[in-house]
Amino acid sequence: MKDLPTEDILLFRSCLVSVEYPGVEASTKFVFDTLGVDYAISEKQTCCTGLGHYSDVFNQIDTSAIGARNFKIAKEMGRPNLVMMCATCYAINKKSVKLLNKKDRLRNHINKLFEENGLAHLKYEKNDLKPTENIFHVVDILYAKKDVIKKHIKYDLSDFTIATHHGCHYCKVHYEDTIGGVRNPNIMDELIEECGCKTIGWYDHKRATCGTGFRQRYSNPDLSFTATADKMNAIEDEDVDILVHLCPNCHIQFDRYQDLISKREGRNFKAIHLNIAQFIALAMGGDFDKVIGVKAHTVPIDSVIKELKEVKK
Amino acid sequence: MTFKQKINDSPIDFAIEIINDVKNSKDEGVLKCVQCGMCTSTCPAAHHSDYNPRDIIEKVLAGDESIISEENIWNCFYCYTCHSVCPVGNSVCEVNQILKQIAIAKEIGYDKLYEYLGFADSYFTAAIGAIPERFFPDIGQDVPGWWNFRQNLEEIRNELELDSLMPSKEVIDEVSKILTITGFKSKIERIRASEEVEK
Repeated sequence: MKDLPTEDILLFRSCLVSVEYPGVEASTKFVFDTLGVDYAISEKQTCCTGLGHYSDVFNQIDTSAIGARNFKIAKEMGRPNLVMMCATCYAINKKSVKLLNKKDRLRNHINKLFEENGLAHLKYEKNDLKPTENIFHVVDILYAKKDVIKKHIKYDLSDFTIATHHGCHYCKVHYEDTIGGVRNPNIMDELIEECGCKTIGWYDHKRATCGTGFRQRYSNPDLSFTATADKMNAIEDEDVDILVHLCPNCHIQFDRYQDLISKREGRNFKAIHLNIAQFIALAMGGDFDKVIGVKAHTVPIDSVIKELKEVKK
Repeated sequence: MTFKQKINDSPIDFAIEIINDVKNSKDEGVLKCVQCGMCTSTCPAAHHSDYNPRDIIEKVLAGDESIISEENIWNCFYCYTCHSVCPVGNSVCEVNQILKQIAIAKEIGYDKLYEYLGFADSYFTAAIGAIPERFFPDIGQDVPGWWNFRQNLEEIRNELELDSLMPSKEVIDEVSKILTITGFKSKIERIRASEEVEK
């Protein structure tokens, strides 16, 4: 398996986490602090362009030029390990590093534009970063600290029925770097196990998309929600209480639209939706409002988690 | 189907154009397609609409450029399921994105971007990729409590002790400059002008 860093990390801010589920950022920081991960956030780093990119508005050169600027910021901070809270940021940035290293024409073109326009300080040199060695998702870092999660667990969540939704842009885009399986993704199931819980493991449609499909949700809502319903039905069939996510885009699709899809399908979908960092933070004793950020959730967290049971020491 | 291009008269120009596209990360993967249909059988868009990834590659290899005008190509979810299961290392998902960029460059796909120009605006004015405001009324209607939540976002972020959401003016200026010199800004202006004409 690839080497996983626990230091010199730039925790990469995500637009969707920032405005939809800010508790994912607070929970990631809480869990990283608890596990002794060395990270920082930069106010200079900007969004990866992913939402615009996958709506076909941004082309590759735009996205990779913005990427080059963010990569330079990370290098200059002495934090060359970019760690993403969003699966799309992860896929977008990993692809930009791959292309900037491999495609001389693209790199030279962007560098020439930088140079001619007073932005020479942003120039990207070949292999400034490496896609496998420097670009990660939060789950990768948590996996590196897997063995120490257990001793920080305060609450026992094992009475709940838990399933995972792994996020296509973590598992399927750069599949050579995915930890815990691509066709049967399990990295989050393994992390949840370290919290003293057992997930349901495989279920029908486990590896399927959340159904967002970027432009599909807005331009083709029927197509989008039909795909989501496939998965929501499978989750309800398993009587799931908590669905654990690693991508804010999937999180929106399930949490925000659960009510609407319940009505479409004529079923009462009941699962609550937590990011893996929120789940672990909760198990570690993170405050509902000050760490988990439950006020941002549409399906109320306390509709399922009514009380917390302390772990028997 | 009728093949517009035979391998021995003007070989695979269209496929070569795709292979040479900067977005392509699969080298000559498209040429390796064996038409097995694994992509189509695992594709959510193929399951629920007339989108057909196997058919896209068949047309590309036949040199049939009419594919860029087909409505169905816009149904791809970008879930990369096809990309992750392809036995020869091709990626229809990437080919699809390249076809759309060709369509946009030829001004065929402009109307597909009108609704999404808000992503460009938010990046120019705030260096952040915010969901375009024209979708807010729909979201407000579909998602109970969402609008109220967004009104209280700053308060929620403060409670979580998170840093300010907005990048500094210096950062926004630098990012806007990047998107001007890559040609992004002028492309968006052309698309917006086209939308105005259609109105």
